Amino acid sequence: MSPSVLICDDSNMARKQVLRSLPEQWKTSVQTASNGAEALSILRDNSVEVLFLDLTMPGIDGIGVLQGIQKLKLNCSVFVISADIQPEMQAKVKALGAKEFMRKPVKADILLNHLQQHGLL
Amino acid sequence: MSEFHLTEDQQDCLQELINIAMGQASDQLARYLDTFVYLKVPSIESVDAKDLIQTLSQQQNTMAIVSQGFFGYEGIRGEALLAYQEEDSGRIADLLGYEPDELSQDEQLIDISSILTTTFLNVFARQIDNQMSYNAPKLLPMVQNSLLDHLQQMTFNWDVALKININYQVTDYSFNCNMILLIPETAILNIKKVLDRILADF
Repeated sequence: MSPSVLICDDSNMARKQVLRSLPEQWKTSVQTASNGAEALSILRDNSVEVLFLDLTMPGIDGIGVLQGIQKLKLNCSVFVISADIQPEMQAKVKALGAKEFMRKPVKADILLNHLQQHGLL
Repeated sequence: MSEFHLTEDQQDCLQELINIAMGQASDQLARYLDTFVYLKVPSIESVDAKDLIQTLSQQQNTMAIVSQGFFGYEGIRGEALLAYQEEDSGRIADLLGYEPDELSQDEQLIDISSILTTTFLNVFARQIDNQMSYNAPKLLPMVQNSLLDHLQQMTFNWDVALKININYQVTDYSFNCNMILLIPETAILNIKKVLDRILADF
């Protein structure tokens, strides 16, 4: 069974980077969003199980999405993939419920490793 | 559309490379100052260099500007300008925890600018399999036209420039630094080639 996946990043290239790092069988059930507001509306209406989330985005940023997920009490596993690698930011996203923080550009082996660690593979 | 204009894909690709570079530069700055740096989405635009330099020159009496030239392989080069509000530049000494007399305010500004510029550009270069060399950073005198004079001494053609603007906000100290990268036109064409090479992989 492949879970329903959402990739949220304002960069098309970054979304493709995440997409091609995913396990082959997951690639059929992927949605994308290019900003936080779009992500939240997809999250609200669908049952997204795994979210790959960028932080620095125009409008509602990744922190805003994490706060929205908490507020809406959504049950989805969030993996933050960001260039903002400051330790304080990594701690902040974990405190807001993210499973893992991965630095950009994302590497397929690291991503797959994290999915395994969290029992998603 | 001018040959110096970036396509949507090129712009997207460049922006992502910049995001990664500014993320690491701000991490360095945060460690150096032992604080958190708030990042915004950078802006990238082609500008008429004359207009830009004029605008900057007009603001210059309120800003301290440190300028540093950079050049890599494949004709990639430009000038990095680090702009600080005048009132902030006085506060940098406190931030860095230097003793008075240890290092002049000017030297501190140059120090911090060089950390940001070289970290940013080294990370940027690594992503495109390039390597940068740098001129010595220079604090421009806060007088009318010093920026204009400085940029006119460059050997490149500045009619059109790619302007990349990155804002580093140190919220704890309400201290702001603007990094402006100016890429002259021949270097834009060279960057476009590099971006196309990366995009061909996707």
